[in-house]
Amino acid sequence: MRDYISVFINGEPRRISGKEAFMTLSDYLRYERGLVGTKVVCSEGDCGACTVIIGNSHKLKNGDFDYVPVNSCISFMHILDGCHIITVEGLKNDEELSEVQDSMVRNHGAQCGFCTPGFVCAMNAGIESSLRDGKEMNEQKMKNSLTGNLCRCTGYKSIIEAGLDIDLKKFEPLSKKYDSKTILKTLTKDISVDAYVKTESNEVFLPTSLKSAVETLKDKDVTLVSGASDLGVLYNKRGLEPESILGLHNIKEMSEIIKSDDSVFIGARVNLHQIEEELRDEFYEFTHMIHIFASPQIKNRATLIGNVANASPIGDSIPFLMVAGASVVLIGPSGEREVEINDFYLGYKKLDMKADEFIKGIKIPLLKSGEKIKLYKTSNRKDMDISIVTFASKYIIENDKLKDISVAVGGVGPVVMRARKTEKELQGQLFDKDVFDKAAATLKSEVTPIDDVRGSANFRRILSKNLLLKFYAEEKLNISRGRN
Amino acid sequence: MSVGKNVPHDSAVTHVSGESVFIDDRPFLKNEMVCGFLGAPVAHGILKSIKIEKALGIPGILGIYTHKDLASNRWGAIVKEQPILVDSLISYEYEPVCVIAAENYKAIEKAKKLIELEIEEIEPILCIQKSIDNEDFLTAEKKIARGNLEEAFNSAPHTLEGVFENGGQEHFYLESHACAAIPLENNQIEIHSSSQHPSETQHVVAQSLGLSYHQVVCVVKRMGGGFGGKESQAAPFASLVGLCARKLKRPARMIINKDDDMKVTGKRHPFKNFWKVAFDNEGKILGYKIKLFSNGGAYTDLSESILERAMLHSDGCYYIPNVEILGRVCKTNIHSNTAFRGFGGPQGNATIESVIEEIAHFLKKDSFKIREMNIYQGDNLHTPYGQLVDHNTLPEIIEKIKVSSDYDRRRKEISEFNKASLTHIKGLAITGTKFGIAFTARFLNQANALVNMHLDGTIQVSTGATEMGQGVNTKIQQIAAGAFGIPVTQVQVMPTSTEKNHNTSPTAASSGSDLNGMATLIACNKIKQRLTSVFNTHFKGNLTPSDEIEVDSSEDLSHIAFEDSVVRDTKNGDSISLKELISIAYLNRVSMGDYAFYKTPGLGFDKAVGQGQAFNYYTNGMAVSEVLIDKFTGETKVLRSDILMDLGRSINPGIDMGQVSGAFVQGMGWVTAENLVYSDKGVLLSHSPTTYKIPSIQDTPREFNIELLENNTNDVCVHRSKAVGEPPFLLGNSVWNAIKDAIYFAKPENASKLKLPATCEEIVTLLDE
Repeated sequence: MRDYISVFINGEPRRISGKEAFMTLSDYLRYERGLVGTKVVCSEGDCGACTVIIGNSHKLKNGDFDYVPVNSCISFMHILDGCHIITVEGLKNDEELSEVQDSMVRNHGAQCGFCTPGFVCAMNAGIESSLRDGKEMNEQKMKNSLTGNLCRCTGYKSIIEAGLDIDLKKFEPLSKKYDSKTILKTLTKDISVDAYVKTESNEVFLPTSLKSAVETLKDKDVTLVSGASDLGVLYNKRGLEPESILGLHNIKEMSEIIKSDDSVFIGARVNLHQIEEELRDEFYEFTHMIHIFASPQIKNRATLIGNVANASPIGDSIPFLMVAGASVVLIGPSGEREVEINDFYLGYKKLDMKADEFIKGIKIPLLKSGEKIKLYKTSNRKDMDISIVTFASKYIIENDKLKDISVAVGGVGPVVMRARKTEKELQGQLFDKDVFDKAAATLKSEVTPIDDVRGSANFRRILSKNLLLKFYAEEKLNISRGRN
Repeated sequence: MSVGKNVPHDSAVTHVSGESVFIDDRPFLKNEMVCGFLGAPVAHGILKSIKIEKALGIPGILGIYTHKDLASNRWGAIVKEQPILVDSLISYEYEPVCVIAAENYKAIEKAKKLIELEIEEIEPILCIQKSIDNEDFLTAEKKIARGNLEEAFNSAPHTLEGVFENGGQEHFYLESHACAAIPLENNQIEIHSSSQHPSETQHVVAQSLGLSYHQVVCVVKRMGGGFGGKESQAAPFASLVGLCARKLKRPARMIINKDDDMKVTGKRHPFKNFWKVAFDNEGKILGYKIKLFSNGGAYTDLSESILERAMLHSDGCYYIPNVEILGRVCKTNIHSNTAFRGFGGPQGNATIESVIEEIAHFLKKDSFKIREMNIYQGDNLHTPYGQLVDHNTLPEIIEKIKVSSDYDRRRKEISEFNKASLTHIKGLAITGTKFGIAFTARFLNQANALVNMHLDGTIQVSTGATEMGQGVNTKIQQIAAGAFGIPVTQVQVMPTSTEKNHNTSPTAASSGSDLNGMATLIACNKIKQRLTSVFNTHFKGNLTPSDEIEVDSSEDLSHIAFEDSVVRDTKNGDSISLKELISIAYLNRVSMGDYAFYKTPGLGFDKAVGQGQAFNYYTNGMAVSEVLIDKFTGETKVLRSDILMDLGRSINPGIDMGQVSGAFVQGMGWVTAENLVYSDKGVLLSHSPTTYKIPSIQDTPREFNIELLENNTNDVCVHRSKAVGEPPFLLGNSVWNAIKDAIYFAKPENASKLKLPATCEEIVTLLDE
C-alpha cells in the first residue's frame, strides 16, 4: 500500500501526504509551494484564472502525456494522483519567455495581469493539443480553447490576436520540454499500487481494482469522488469536507469507453472531453452539445457519471440519456444490476441506488436506422453557463409522420422529466405546424418550473414551448448539427 | 521618441510569466494573520447586540472586533455617513458587522457561524419606484436646463414619452478587494491595498484608527482590475485590516473572496428615467425633458457625482435646443452603489440613444438618419450646460463609420433577412459617445509627480496614478523616456505610495494619464532645463578646476535636444552622451530629481445653476453593431461591431486599442447578459460567475473592427492625447440598440418596453407577449 499521492510539478517529483493530500491544487501551489503565479478568483471553476496544465498518466496519447488544462481551484491533490502538473512558472525557459508568453506580450494580451497566467496555460494547452492532433489553429479553435477563461480588461480581442500570432515553429511542446519517459516511469509504477492517505480527520482510498472498491463501500460511509468538479465547489463554498473518500481513478476499466454492436458503455471515470473526442460518430448531437456544455478545463475533469449521479434537474446530459434510453450500471456487494435511466430518478436528488452501490458506468443504445436526436441547451450566456431549460428528443419521421417520438425536458421541475403528454400528442401525427403548435401548448402546461436566479417560471414555460417549435422549424428547414 | 509607440505594457513580461506580485502573492510575514468579516444577514434592521464569546473560543481565532473598537466609525467620499462596521442600523444585506483575525481561513468560517446577532428586522426598500413613492432620497434635486421647453413641446409636430430602465453591473475585477497591514514603530502603519485611491485609503485608515495622516502610508503596487469599484470602496477594508493589525500588533492581510466581494460592494447604478421628447417631421429634436432617478443603495458614496455625470451626458452626442434635465439619487436597502467605468455617463447616454430609436420608429425612418441630423455640428455646438463642444469630430466620425461599416448595404440586407427568416431576427444600430474628460469636482483635477534620475541615466518616476491594467504606468514611462530621449526600459514607474505623492486624486474619470502624465512631463522638463544649462556651460568651456557650473535658466536653449540617449546642440552639432552629462551635472552639484504639480486649467462648472465648463475636452467615438437573435431562445450573437474612436494623438496605440475593445465588451455585457438578481428580501442571488455572466471569449463580436481617427487638435492634454478609459464603454450600448432594432421587426408593439440588460429572458418574453 502506498501512503502518498504521487505527482510531478514542473518536472519535479512530489509525494503528497497528510493534510496536503486534501488541499485543492491551487492552495497547495500557492501556500505550500510558493507558486503564486496561479491565481484564484471564483473558487468554482468558472473563471479559469487558476488554470494549470496536467498530463495524466491514466490517459496517454501514443504513449505520451496528453497535456490538458484544468481548474486547480476545484481539483483536490488526491484526484491528481498520477499527474504531471505544469504551472505558469513551468512554461518559461530560464529567463526566456515561451513563444505563447512572448506573443501575449507582443499583442498586448495582458492588461491587469490577474487572468493572464490562466490564459497563458489554457492557450499553451490548446496549441499543444492542436499540434498533437495535426490540426490547424484558427480563430474559432483558439476561442474554443479559451472558453473557460474570463478576462474583464481586454475584451479578448488582443488575446485572440496573441493566440493567432504564435509562431508554431518556435513553440516548444511540453512533451519535449519535459522528460515524459522518466516522469511516466515513476507515475505509472505508483498508480498501479493501491494508495491510502490519512490525517486525523480525513482519509482517502484509491484502489486499483473494482473488487476492493466494492468492499470498501460495503463497510463504510464513503464519498465517491471522480472529477470533483462539483465537490470542489462545495468544499470551497460550503466547507463540505467528506471524512472518507473513495477515488476510482486508479481502476483502469473505469476510464474506458467500450463500443459494442448495439450500445456504448461509458465508465464512471470517463470525462466529458473523452466522450466529445471518441463518440462523435455514434452520438454527434450529444458531442456537439458537450462542446458548449462546459469549458475545456471542466470537460477534462468532469465525468458523465458525475452528471448522472449529481441528479441535478438541470443536468445537461440527462435529457439526452433519457430519450436515448440509457441504462445506469450499478455495482455493489451482490454484483451488478442495470436501471433504466427513466426510472433512476425517484425525486429531487433521490436515486434508485443503495448505500453500498455505486455507478460503474452507463450504457447507451446506439441509434437505430431512421432515428434522430435533437438536443437544445438554453442559458443566459451561450457558453459555460448552467442551463435554464434543456431539451432532448429522439424521433423517427416516416412518410411525413412522427414515429416513436420521445421528449425530455430539464430545468422545469425537481427532476429532468419525460414530457409524456406531449409525446402522446405528437406520436403518430403528421409532421406539421399545427400539430406542433398544439403540442407546444401542451408542453408549456405540462412542465412545472419554479423561479430562480437563472430565470422565472414563466420564462421556463415559454422556453419549453419554444424549444419544441424550434425543433419543428429546424427539422422543417433541415437545419441539423448532426449527421445522425 | 517613445511617445506614440506601441510599446508593451510595463508589466507585460511578469504578467505572462506569473511573476507579477498582487497583494495575496506577497510571501506571508512571520506571524501574519488572515482576516475576514461577518456580513449582516438582513437588508434592513436594528442591530441590538453582538455576542462574540463563543466564536472567540474557536482554535485559531485571534480577535473579533466591532464598531466599538474603531476610533471613528464613519467614512464617505462625499458625505461621511457610512459606518465601517454596523453600529446600530443595518442598511443592506451583508453589511460588515465585525472583523475577525485568525491563524487560518477555516477558523474564520467557523467563527462566523458562532457570532450571535440580535436584530430587529425592518421592511427593506429595494426598488427605485418605492423610494420615489416614499420620497426617500440621498440627494436634493439637481437641474440643468436651457431654452423654453414648454413652447417647444406646445409647438412641436410630434411628442413621445416613456420610461427607460437600466440594471446595475458588477465590476467583476478578477482580483477581488485585497489589503494588508503592517504595524510599524511609533504608531505608524503601512497599508498595502488594491485601491484606486491610496490617499483616501490612507485618510480613512488614519481617521478610523485614531491616527494622524503622517502615521499611515498606503502603497499600491498594482490592482487586478478596478473599473471604479476600488475608487472609494477599498478604504473601509483597509481600515478593518489595519484595526486587526494594530490590536494584535501583528501583520495582517484581508483577501475578500469573490462571493463576499460581490455581496458587500457597490455596483453600477440602476436608473429609472422618465423622458419626453418633441421633434419635427424630419426627426429633428426640438425639446427633451428627462427626470433621472438612480438607485444609490444604502449610502451616498459617490452617487451624487455619478448622477451629475449622468445628467451631463443626457444629451449624448446630440444638440438639443430646449432641454430640462432633473435628477435625484434614491436611497434603498442594497449595497451602496459606486463608481463604475462611465460613472453615470452610460445611463444618461443610453436613454437618449433609446429615445432616438423611438423617434425613428415613430417616423418610420432609419435611426441612423435621425442621429446624423441631430449630432453636434455647424453652429449647434453648445451643450445644455453651456460648454462649447470644441474641436468637434462627431460629424467626421459618423460619416466615416457609415462608409467603413458598410451601413447602408447591411441595412438593406437585414430587412430582407428578417422578412425571410423563420428562426432568427437581425438588428443593426449605431450609437455614439461624447465623453466629458475631467472630474466634475474641480479640486480633484490635480496631480503631482516625483522624478529621480540616477547616475547611470535611469529614472524612477512616482505619481499618484495607480496601475490597474489600463497602462497608465506605461504611458508615464513613455512620457518620461520621451522627455529624455532614452529607451522606455530605462524608466521604472514605482509603486504608488502616499509617502512619495500626497493628496492625490483617485485614478478615475479616465484622467490618470492626463493628470499624472502631465505632472511627470513638467517634472522631467525641470530636470532637463538644468541639464541643458549644464550642457551649455560645459561646451562653452573655459572652466578651471575650481569653477563649478551654475544653472542659468535665462538663456533660450531650445536648440539643445535629448535624443537616442545623447544630448546635442542642433545648431553647432556639439554632443555628449546623456550619461556623461549626468555625471558632469552631479560633480557640479546640480539636482537631478524633481517634483512637479499640475492642475487642469480652465475648469469651472457651477453645480447650483448647472452651467459652465464642466470638462477639459471630449473624447468621441461611434460604433455600429449587428446582432442575430434566435427567436425561440432569445440567444443573441453580435455578428459584427465597428468602432471609430477619436483619441487625439495616442501615446500608445496598442494600449489604447486594448482600452477600447475592453470597454466595449464590458459595455456589451452590461446591456446584454449581466443581470443582478436579488431576492424579495434584498439578498443578492447572483454573486459569483456561475450566476453572474460577464462576456466570455465566445460572446465577442464575430467581426470586431476598431479604428482610431487621426486628430492632432487636442492641445489641452499631454502630447495632444485624449483620455480613453471610460468613453468607449458607452459604445457597448450599440448592441442594445441593435437588439431593440431587431425587436421592432418581430414585435414592434413591444420594442419600447425593452429594458436594459436585454437578457434572453427579456427578449423571449417580449417576443412572446
